Amino acid sequence: MIDLLSAVFSFAFLVTVVRASTPLIFATLGGLVADLSGALNVALEGMMLIAALTAVITSVYAPWYVAVLAAVLAGALFGAVIAFFHLKLKADIILAGFAINILASGGTVFVLSLATGGDKGTSINLASKSIPAVDLSFLAHVPLIGPALSGILSGHSILSWLAALSVAGLWFFLYHMPQGLWLRGVGEYPAATEAAGIPVNRVRVLALIASGAFAGLAGAQLAMFNYVGFTRDMTSGRGFIALGAVLLGARHPVGAMLAALLFGVFEALSIVMPGLFSWIPAEMIVSIPFAVTIFALFLFSYRAMRARAMRGG
Amino acid sequence: MTVLLEARGIAKTYPGGTVANNGVDLTVRAGEVHAVVGENGAGKSTLMKILFGIEQPDGGELLLDGKPVHFAGAKAAINAGIGMVFQHFSLVPSFSVYENVVMGSEPRAGLRFDRSRAIAEVRALSEKFRLPVDPLPPVASIPVGQQQRVEILKALYRDARILILDEPTAVLAPQEVEELFVAVRSLVAQGRTVIFIAHKLPEVLEISDSITVMRAGRTVAQVKARDVTEQSLANLMVGREVTLKVDRAATDKSTVRLEVAGLSVDHENGTAACADIDLRLRAGEIVGLVGVEGNGQQEFMETIAGHRAATRGSAMLDGVDLLDLPVLKRRRAGLANIPQDRIAEGLAVGATLAENMAATRLSDGGFVRHGLLDRKAMKANAASLIEKFAIRAAGPDAAAGTLSGGNMQKVVVARELSEAPKVLLVSQPTRGVDLGATQFIWKTITEARDNGAAVLLSSADLSELMALSDRFLVFYHGEIVAALENDESVTPEALGAYMLGLERQTPEQIRAVSL
Amino acid sequence: MSASRSNMWKSARAEALRALTALAMALAVAFIIVLITSKSPVETFGTLLSGPMTSKRTIGLWIDDVAKLTMTGLAFSLVFQARQFSMGVQGQVYMGGLFSALVALSPIGTTAVGMPAAVLAGMAAGAFYGFIPGYAKARLGANEIVSSLMLNYIAVNLVTYLVREPLVAAPGLLSTPNFPPNTIFPALIERTRIDLGLVLALLSVAAVWFALYRTSWGLKLRLVGHNARFAEYAGIKANFIMVSAMTASGALGGLLGAMFVQGQSYGKLLVQFEGNLAFEGILIAIVAKNRPLAVPIVALFYGYLRQGALIMGIRTDVPTEVISVVQAIIILLVASSFKFGSGKLLARLRPAKPVTTTGAGA
Repeated sequence: MIDLLSAVFSFAFLVTVVRASTPLIFATLGGLVADLSGALNVALEGMMLIAALTAVITSVYAPWYVAVLAAVLAGALFGAVIAFFHLKLKADIILAGFAINILASGGTVFVLSLATGGDKGTSINLASKSIPAVDLSFLAHVPLIGPALSGILSGHSILSWLAALSVAGLWFFLYHMPQGLWLRGVGEYPAATEAAGIPVNRVRVLALIASGAFAGLAGAQLAMFNYVGFTRDMTSGRGFIALGAVLLGARHPVGAMLAALLFGVFEALSIVMPGLFSWIPAEMIVSIPFAVTIFALFLFSYRAMRARAMRGG
Repeated sequence: MTVLLEARGIAKTYPGGTVANNGVDLTVRAGEVHAVVGENGAGKSTLMKILFGIEQPDGGELLLDGKPVHFAGAKAAINAGIGMVFQHFSLVPSFSVYENVVMGSEPRAGLRFDRSRAIAEVRALSEKFRLPVDPLPPVASIPVGQQQRVEILKALYRDARILILDEPTAVLAPQEVEELFVAVRSLVAQGRTVIFIAHKLPEVLEISDSITVMRAGRTVAQVKARDVTEQSLANLMVGREVTLKVDRAATDKSTVRLEVAGLSVDHENGTAACADIDLRLRAGEIVGLVGVEGNGQQEFMETIAGHRAATRGSAMLDGVDLLDLPVLKRRRAGLANIPQDRIAEGLAVGATLAENMAATRLSDGGFVRHGLLDRKAMKANAASLIEKFAIRAAGPDAAAGTLSGGNMQKVVVARELSEAPKVLLVSQPTRGVDLGATQFIWKTITEARDNGAAVLLSSADLSELMALSDRFLVFYHGEIVAALENDESVTPEALGAYMLGLERQTPEQIRAVSL
Repeated sequence: MSASRSNMWKSARAEALRALTALAMALAVAFIIVLITSKSPVETFGTLLSGPMTSKRTIGLWIDDVAKLTMTGLAFSLVFQARQFSMGVQGQVYMGGLFSALVALSPIGTTAVGMPAAVLAGMAAGAFYGFIPGYAKARLGANEIVSSLMLNYIAVNLVTYLVREPLVAAPGLLSTPNFPPNTIFPALIERTRIDLGLVLALLSVAAVWFALYRTSWGLKLRLVGHNARFAEYAGIKANFIMVSAMTASGALGGLLGAMFVQGQSYGKLLVQFEGNLAFEGILIAIVAKNRPLAVPIVALFYGYLRQGALIMGIRTDVPTEVISVVQAIIILLVASSFKFGSGKLLARLRPAKPVTTTGAGA
């Protein structure tokens, strides 16, 4: 127990939590944007996977930021694909989303195998790059709080900072920009936005593209920082957990971030714990985020239902 | 005053053949309150949709400021300075009042949505036009009357010169109506023009300057408010002729089938929809529920059918209280129900006719034995109903969705009547139905009555009620205010007076006929 | 009568034509990909299209796949017919496999009832696993997509752990000991994987078809799926139907699990035994329009393609996974008319008319 506590209350653990949370924060924001526009984006998982591979392969030939950009574009592209099939061809969005997931889980292995010359498991023989961490260790020189400041703030991925910025940015967009108002209005009651002359379909398309772009960032962080390189099915359900985190975060960007951080803590624990508690099976630790998601989903749904009942309908 | 908006000879026939407008004229002068009155189904709503660009007319022309105009959509009408407040509001429930008002044309500061300016503008607008409403709370949390003000402010925020209010008082309590009128007067005083659609005559006379009366899709009169009385207006509205006649057999009305006592029902928001309703319904009669829509008769019917819970009271069908039973058991006790929205509520278009016609009887022995479908019985049932009701379909295995609208309606009617129900509930049986089908449905309902069914009929169409009913119960504000036998002495005008709350019978008079 | 029969055939033919068109378009894309990536594209593509027919063994693999694809297709069809989007078949397969393994490896396994007892245990476990998201949706309003997906991961992890640790045959292996021979499905054709599972799959097709089209429960289920408002009006308990549909679908998933572990293919429980087959049921169900009788036909075609891709992956320079492109394209194309059965794809590609409705009052 002491071991666990000292492990948890260390700067290293904090850095691990942030690292583990970052892809989830992006994915959850992506889920949130789609959800607020009235679409359940079940394809976050697949979009992340595609973006992760895109980032890895691009980074072999280009600087890291170009690779991140490529990942974002890949995610956005598949957001547009879903939008096209759902809004234009009237395909059910759940089915269209799963089509993307299926494409992603097989397609990434296919492309990986081509890129590596036959390796279907990992990109280990590709010289892919990583996203640099932001070194703020100079803060240690600040008197008194310096070491703490440096311990807390230093060593995070640039994308982790971007994730924090994205939360703030999305919050600003949703609640302080006219277009954010439109997005939320379209999701809640499309007839009202239509009557107000807002281009409902365009808002929906852009929301799905943005959702894909966020999933792209999530994939980039996953394959260029959390792990360097691509592994088949490396997203391992994070895209689906993000859907739960959207609900758990009360459909608000800050709530989404907190929910993602919560899952990040569990993932970080699962990284730290095997060393400390070798008797706990790894599979059980890996399952914790899924169990927590189910529990949170049930609890949240129950509370939402109670709230609806209290309002009287 | 100059003519601002003019409609000449507007005609509109919906696909499916319903003639909604046929020769509608409307002349609205700048700065007046212009009421458009008429019964339900007279074509008022269609006219308003045409004025607002949602529907395109098949004939006739619109002139704005003397120049012909054509609105391809709502946006074009809004840009031309026309604003519309629908009966069902288009507001985003969780958004605040001011967000709803400015949504789509928000004031900006750089990239930002300038909230403080929006709030200030909405405040100023609400003061200027005497539409008091707090800009800050979410619209879901404010009363309906204030939500309506938000809708009006929305139109004014977009600089509407002409404001169309579709039955604005239907959802309001009396004191809210007064407040609305204050606002309407202030609008007119500041140079705006208001078109006011209504069917409550006292209100119409109180607020309007000119009145256009519509009946059966055409304009029958254009008058000044000061030149008419309620009575003369009612005569114009209702007309004198009852267009269709139905022959009814003499029936034995000695058996009470349904006895409702002290039945009270609430709306979803907790306010009373109808209170302490007492009535007896006998075999072999049709009791017509008369009333302007929204006076509780619909909720009453839904409660008997089992789709809404009663707060108090009982409804005994042959000694069994229906209110204790789930829908299926009510049906087995002898209740049948022809719902208002027959295609959306009464059918599964993807299922076959045989399945649709058995759908309400999946728990009794007729079509199901030991959990298995008796497909032969289902098909035979469907085939005989198809023949009996002359439904045009390929056969019992055809999907309901392959039928025409009128034939889909027949499927529902046929199913509900197939079991010789003891009590039959019918809501708006001929809404959206052409003349031929109307006659057919009337005949069917009357036959059910002649064969001993006790029928409760709710309709917004007075001539329909007068053609079919043995007795009338008039609903007003959730109460029965009059009960009348349908004989030669009952006129539409007399019913209208009760419907509009101008007159009411004594409790003794009511009980003498309602029980 | 005969008129509606011929209408039924006409619409079935139209559906088949649409599915084949989607398949052709998907294969064309696959061919282009092969053309770009393979050194000998024609040969590679030929392997994809003819691979399963090369030997008795490969035919056996194909038919075994068809049996399993039929099961997952049925499981998805059943929930889709009730318009529920439970994605939990994968988890049900693992739970089903686990529990039939537990029974097969228990003392019961060696008795005469070992085989049916193990199958039933698998079905019961799958049913329970399907019941959870259904019940949570009915009682709590919890989204069944998210909860069923989470349950999938938990089931996979649970099986992996149990197989790796307590149930492992020998340290370091990733499987349990072999089941007693009497619990293993007998092969229908010697030295192939075609076994009793195929019979169970075909029986399941008949059972699901019968339940959906010959029982009142099935009619209620379809009515709930067609129009929930009408179902309520008709007095059908939609929540009960929804939960029971998900539970029944779970039992099918559980049976598939038993077919995996008790079949000729394995005869033991091992990690990741399901090999990503469960989710293929989405494609099967969509293309079959959720019609149980069409499911095995679609499975026959799709199983062929899937097996062809596997063989292509082994024998040529193009990896098996290219098939996922085919799969995604088929789903996207077929789902595009999923809601509106009569719409033509090309008609949908034309620019949509601007929406002119305004407000709920319009």
